[in-house]
Amino acid sequence: MESGTSPVNEICPTATQSWVKKGALLVDVREKEEVEQLAYDVPNIVNIPLSEFETRYKELPIDKEIVTVCRAGSRSLRAAGFLVNNGYDPLKVVNMRHGIVRWVQKGFPTKGDTSTILDANTSTGCCNSSNKDESACC
Amino acid sequence: MKKSIKVFGPGCPKCKTTYNNVLEAIKQTGVEAEVQKIEDIEEMMKYNVLATPVLMIDEVVKVKGRLADVNEIKQLLIH
Repeated sequence: MESGTSPVNEICPTATQSWVKKGALLVDVREKEEVEQLAYDVPNIVNIPLSEFETRYKELPIDKEIVTVCRAGSRSLRAAGFLVNNGYDPLKVVNMRHGIVRWVQKGFPTKGDTSTILDANTSTGCCNSSNKDESACC
Repeated sequence: MKKSIKVFGPGCPKCKTTYNNVLEAIKQTGVEAEVQKIEDIEEMMKYNVLATPVLMIDEVVKVKGRLADVNEIKQLLIH
């Protein structure tokens, strides 16, 4: 597990696979339209868009391992921080870095159209500090 | 008293526009204020910022997850 000064631990997509196998719940915070286009294909997943997160986060079990995910890892990091700030165990809540962009590049299972990800090359939207002009995160 | 204004956002167009609108609203109202643009994600997490942009005036969240126009910000500054 990787960690810095952030209150949230972060893991990569490969480590996320291990968490999923152990029964962790993936929490996808992308907006509904994004999920309809392309979704993570894992057994335990719930979609709570970031725009609804503040009112719906209590739907998430407090005693279960949770991996927050999004398109590129920035929105989900904020969501994970929000959970930790609101009493969720920082040892059980982690953020997946690089989001579905890296997930697709790694060939991990998805449902839907991956072309938007693959055609976009390695761009990670506004979550990439070198490319802050995209509005995907917001 | 000088107002403290914070605009949170990762640098997306809506966040930049909100920041520029804040500067314009200050100019038009003449309100004395210190404005901070906060793009650091860890700083955002400290303030529990989720959907961006977020406009905070004197440590109170006034607008979150959407663009605030100049007139709206002017109203927030003078009330």
